[in-house]
Amino acid sequence: MVILETVLDATWEHIVLVYTTLFVSIIVSIPLAFASLYSKKLEFVVMKFANMVQAVPSFAVVAIMVPFLGIGFTPAVVAIMLRALLPIIKNTYIGLSNVDPALIDYAEGVGLSQWQINRHIRLPNAYPAMFAGIKFAGILANSIAVLTAYIGSGGLGEIIFQGLIGYNTRTLLAGAIPAIILAILIDISFTLLEKKVTPGYMK
Amino acid sequence: MQTERLFDRIDSIQFKGITKKYGTGFAVKDLDLEIQGGELLILIGPSGSGKTTTLRMMNRMIEQDSGSVTINGLDTREVDPVRLRRNMGYVIQNIGLFPHMTIGENIGLVPKLERWDKNRIEERVRELLNFVSLPPEMFMDRYPRQLSGGQQQRVGLARAMAMDPPLFLMDEPFGALDPILRKQLQKEFLKIKNEINRTIVFVTHDIEEALILGDRIAIMDQAKLVQVGPPEELIFNPVNELVADIVDTKRKFKHMDTLNVKDLMSPFDEKYVFDGKINSCDAVEEMTTRDIETAFVFDDDELLGQVTMMDLMKCRVKIQKLADVARPVKTFQPLDSVAFALSELKNSGEYLAIVMNSKHPIGILVSDEVLLKLI
Repeated sequence: MVILETVLDATWEHIVLVYTTLFVSIIVSIPLAFASLYSKKLEFVVMKFANMVQAVPSFAVVAIMVPFLGIGFTPAVVAIMLRALLPIIKNTYIGLSNVDPALIDYAEGVGLSQWQINRHIRLPNAYPAMFAGIKFAGILANSIAVLTAYIGSGGLGEIIFQGLIGYNTRTLLAGAIPAIILAILIDISFTLLEKKVTPGYMK
Repeated sequence: MQTERLFDRIDSIQFKGITKKYGTGFAVKDLDLEIQGGELLILIGPSGSGKTTTLRMMNRMIEQDSGSVTINGLDTREVDPVRLRRNMGYVIQNIGLFPHMTIGENIGLVPKLERWDKNRIEERVRELLNFVSLPPEMFMDRYPRQLSGGQQQRVGLARAMAMDPPLFLMDEPFGALDPILRKQLQKEFLKIKNEINRTIVFVTHDIEEALILGDRIAIMDQAKLVQVGPPEELIFNPVNELVADIVDTKRKFKHMDTLNVKDLMSPFDEKYVFDGKINSCDAVEEMTTRDIETAFVFDDDELLGQVTMMDLMKCRVKIQKLADVARPVKTFQPLDSVAFALSELKNSGEYLAIVMNSKHPIGILVSDEVLLKLI
């Protein structure tokens, strides 16, 4: 039997873990996606690496952290990030590179600098694809955050594993149900953010 | 960033020995051309003749391999391209309105980047929308895809005027519009041109448009400037066969007497039909959806007259019925002679008439279209 406080603590740890990872992933992905627009070589390297990491089973990515980074919060963040990067980078890059070249050409013609074109033309047009990627990454992060409990990240995984080991269904559910609810909340939170930043015509 | 104005007015623009190569071929070869301040210069020629390349070298969208472009004596290569472009209005064929921004944001984009304050931007946007006959309260917050082709084109023009530039570069601005719409916007543009009195360089492949709008016309072919001069000079003294061909000096109206109205009309389209009982505001919406600038008003089967988008925008009384604002429209019978129809149109100052078979509209007669078909 688990007490409510333990579940709430674990849920909070889980949320912090997932959102920290997503935040770092977004901060890393967006500049990389922009940089990939300007360098075919970088695009190739980034995409290859992201695809490769994606192919490795999630649990293996988590396990491989231990010899390099030990256990705890940071290795967990890195492990989740490796999996969450790809959908964000790939979708952002696709969104950015699929903007109608005529619009870019026109923006140059009226005197927008490269930076202004990226900020005012490319980025807003990439929002739908970008957010689709972030939401998918959010779901991934949420499920891998369960696994990282094995390397001491804390979170709901700890309760779930306890339940599994002790054949205790109630403990198991006390960990699993909040994890499911979190998955839904993550999706909703980014949908709301997307609505807020996406220009009206796309809604 | 605030961009300094490079010039308040254009005195002259000089192209000297401009050459641009693409691979082994020339896009433009040894071009010498002077554009005078305040004129509308047309660049015309077959596709691939170098006219767009020439235009795009003025704002450094394309850099020449050799030679120089100077504006009021200032070599464009000495100016930062972004700064140079903000001193020019730019209008292109596909309009290039940004789909994710409202009409107001589209027009106000460059002023915003120039750090104008909010009120000043809004005031400017309103002023410009009024100038191109689009009521601001109705259009400011719409997105480009909610506008008809003609309306978008007007917004494109308003946007180019945002910074009140002394020079406009226009690359086939009416190229993508249907002939009737194009005709109307040309007429409107001619008025605007006289009002703003700016230097304009205008690329087109439509000689009719060139003859209507141009103060001078520069004809290009195979990367070279063939002849430049006012329309009448090109018509009466073409330097070679190509020029004569383009301005069509051999055009003869020899079939004029033998042809009837029905041979030269465009077929009637139901989209032009509007009921006299609907009110003018709804009509504006509906005309926008159908992408037309002129509508013919009917009451049951009876033709009441015509209304144009411009008329409806001007009279802003909400409950007005179309029947009350319709202006008379010329009508012809299918078997009227073309010569008769044209002279009737000319005398009445109209360029559009409707062809009626007893009570049914069967066609539209556009004077310039008729002339074109007579070649």
